Amino acid sequence: MAAATAGPGSLLPALTVFLVAFPLLAGVVLLFTTAPSVRNVIVVGASTVVALASVAAAVAFGNGADVFYGLPGDASPQTAIFIAEVAIALFVIGIGLHYRRFLAPALALAQLAIAIWLQVGGHEPAPDPSRLFWFDRLAMVLVLIVGIIGPLICIHALGYMRDYQRSYPLIRGRRTAFFFLLFLFLSSMFGLVLSNDLPLMLVFWEITTLCSFLLIGYTRTPETIGYAFRALNMNLLGGLGFSIAIVLLSGRPGGLDLARLTAQPAGAVLLPAIALLALAGLTKSAQMPFSSWLIGAMYAPTPTSALLHSSTMVKAGVFLLLRLAPAMAGTEVGTLVAFVGLLTFLFVSLVAVTEQNTKKVLAYSTIANLGLIAGCAGIATPQTVWVGVMIVVFHAVAKSLLFLVVGTLENRLYTKDMEHFDGLLSRMRRVSILALTGIAGMFVAPFGIVIAKWSAIRAFIEVPGWEGAACLLIMAFGSALTIFYWGKMLLKVLSTRAVDPGERALEERVSGFEWFSETAHAAGVVGVAALVGVISERVVGPYALGAFHAAPRTFLDVSPAMLVVLLASVLFLPALGFWAWRRRDYDQADFYASGRQAGADRVVGAALGGTREITLRNYYLEGVVDGGLVFRVGTAVCALVLAAMVVVPAVVRA
Amino acid sequence: MSGLAGAVLFVVLAPVAGGLLVGADRVVTARMQGRVGPPLLQPFYDVGKLLEKEARQVNPVAEPLLLGHLAFMALTGALVLGGVDLLFTVFVFALAALCLVLAAGSVASPFSHAGAERELIVLLATEPFFILMLAAVCKVTGASTFAGVLASPVAVAEELPGVLLAFLFVATVKLRKSPFDIAASHHPHQELVSGLTSDMSGRLLAYVHLAHWYETALLAVFVVLFFNRSVPLGLAVFLLAYAVEILVDNSTSRAKWELVLRSSWAVTLLFSGGNVLAVFLLGR
Repeated sequence: MAAATAGPGSLLPALTVFLVAFPLLAGVVLLFTTAPSVRNVIVVGASTVVALASVAAAVAFGNGADVFYGLPGDASPQTAIFIAEVAIALFVIGIGLHYRRFLAPALALAQLAIAIWLQVGGHEPAPDPSRLFWFDRLAMVLVLIVGIIGPLICIHALGYMRDYQRSYPLIRGRRTAFFFLLFLFLSSMFGLVLSNDLPLMLVFWEITTLCSFLLIGYTRTPETIGYAFRALNMNLLGGLGFSIAIVLLSGRPGGLDLARLTAQPAGAVLLPAIALLALAGLTKSAQMPFSSWLIGAMYAPTPTSALLHSSTMVKAGVFLLLRLAPAMAGTEVGTLVAFVGLLTFLFVSLVAVTEQNTKKVLAYSTIANLGLIAGCAGIATPQTVWVGVMIVVFHAVAKSLLFLVVGTLENRLYTKDMEHFDGLLSRMRRVSILALTGIAGMFVAPFGIVIAKWSAIRAFIEVPGWEGAACLLIMAFGSALTIFYWGKMLLKVLSTRAVDPGERALEERVSGFEWFSETAHAAGVVGVAALVGVISERVVGPYALGAFHAAPRTFLDVSPAMLVVLLASVLFLPALGFWAWRRRDYDQADFYASGRQAGADRVVGAALGGTREITLRNYYLEGVVDGGLVFRVGTAVCALVLAAMVVVPAVVRA
Repeated sequence: MSGLAGAVLFVVLAPVAGGLLVGADRVVTARMQGRVGPPLLQPFYDVGKLLEKEARQVNPVAEPLLLGHLAFMALTGALVLGGVDLLFTVFVFALAALCLVLAAGSVASPFSHAGAERELIVLLATEPFFILMLAAVCKVTGASTFAGVLASPVAVAEELPGVLLAFLFVATVKLRKSPFDIAASHHPHQELVSGLTSDMSGRLLAYVHLAHWYETALLAVFVVLFFNRSVPLGLAVFLLAYAVEILVDNSTSRAKWELVLRSSWAVTLLFSGGNVLAVFLLGR
């Protein structure tokens, strides 16, 4: 690994401290800000500063060799880490006992015991103060995602929460806590993706878990509290795996240094620890058997789903897996991680076709994409790691946009049910065009995710033995399922019907914050598509090659003919939306209804007199696919694979 | 520039070949049913007439979507023959099919809508096969383009007999031939009326016909991939298979969508999946 220590003039240590400290400070200020007008100013201002600081960090890094650095003045964080670990554990124990849920406190207690043993017992080596943080191209990608998409979502939340509180008037006062948690989350996310010292990363890791827990339980109804604890339990289990990995690695010099740990394929000695870290990554990314927490997390306010549960926090899991990829290369752990990911991709895609709640479809799609990334990380070749990081980028922008759009729809139409979105293009034109852009970014636009899928299939052809055949089969069926559920969503958006002026006016009540954020996201979807070559060959490609010490090569082998096709199809759906918008007074002929009179209002004369309204529904494959059953089978199968992943290396070592 | 020539050739010749095949289909079908049937060139007359007629626009998105359907379908073939990575073309192929689904589904008519939903199921039923087929062809030949497959010394059909068998099944579904004509029907007296195309008229319907001809020609190109050692043999096999399709089309009644989905997936999984597994295990 081409390691370079930051020179004395480097801004990275200061910027890192700023990226962690500033959002935290902004969050604390927001906790005590009750006036909406003041809050708006603070959130917009702080968001701008965070975005600028993250761009500044990327510029300071300069997209070159890896940089390792510590805190300004080489301060040691060891005591602070220990205090934070104790505080987190005490908080979990306290809140768990308050709600009489005992699994989370037990897991926290176990982690606390480990932390005390390591710290007070002196078993944990002191971290190298000059290698606490690791800024490389992958970290840069994540910093930019967190630092640009995160603030945009915070701005969106200003508009969304105003309407949300109208639906839940009893919890109006908690909005201060909501914004505090969003900014606390941003702070810890920056810390997480930049940490090179594993105990330091674990602290940030657990803070994101707590943010997720508190945001899911935001409304504090018995239902959401249940889902919040489910998320907490599963993520704490992953955190416990992380802690045990730290115990296993503590005895080895430099063992807690992530960059050194993952510089080469892990030997039998290190493999159990790698497996436990992978377990933590899989829980955070809601891979089966842990997928149910992310579905429950959909009960959180929608900006939470956009920020934590699609674009950033769940990406922390696959981020860790991608980091571990060189260590997993060619090991049993790598193969088993790959199959947990790919099977999850297949199973949840199958469940998604039976789901009617739009937010849940988006959640399943998120888990599926994370599964694909996990699969790529587990197969661990430069090509697959390239695919994985590319999906991280494209998915973050497009999926965040879709969640925000659903949030806007939810506050206007009072439903998340896909079946109630029909005629959307006639009713809410601007929202529809944004939705079409997001959907295009997810699966139509061959830039982005389709390019990644294509490359994944290319890479899987090269995988020898039954594993290669299995990967191809999973990709083939998984991709088809993806087309099916996005196709259904498109049908609903694109279907047209007569609307009255009242329905058209719905859109006028969408706040400026939401318009700004969603438009910026849509520009981002088009932007990353336009910059696909730069992202691939200048950033992601060099990262993948560097991680495996591989010879230089190009990854995005796109011929001019393909480029033309790509451009045509990325713009096709949004252009279609604009076209329909312009043609609002298009001559709409009556449609066919067995010779009976039928108009755009969908009312037809019934057989025995009177009138009937036509209702159209999507197919959810009832009778062929049982979503609940598939979910349970997937959970069971992946649990077995996961158990093998944790047990096999330990047995091999013994 | 042979790639460009191939692409142009497909765009120009595919509708001629596809139209002739559909014309022959109608003649043979008529003879099977004891009728004289239309002249061979009838499909061309039909499309010519449709293009002249005034189109009833049911909504503003149907026409651009159908143009997209036609353009992407022609493009898929052009890309295959133009020497673009075969695995990439499968995504354009799916996009083409999706455009037709969206065009039909954007109409409020229950018949169109049911046709659209069922076409989406057809896409779900057939897409895994096409991805797997092209991946398998690339695997055994080590090539990634059409020309590369033709130049390969490996006889693809000998390596992938299971995939070829599955192709014959899946092509029936893709061509919307009975018993798998769940999304559209040539005989508008059934529960679907004419499904997908119920609300398409004039030039809109002409686009659908043209796209169907391109699609048929594209399937012929796919068969040639299997008989890469001899292109005429490949075309002959395709024609023979099409003749069998006509016979099946005329002697079966429409199946339910559940059966279409289950059987397509089962065939894909067993025949192509088994074949692909064997190829990987034998280390080719």
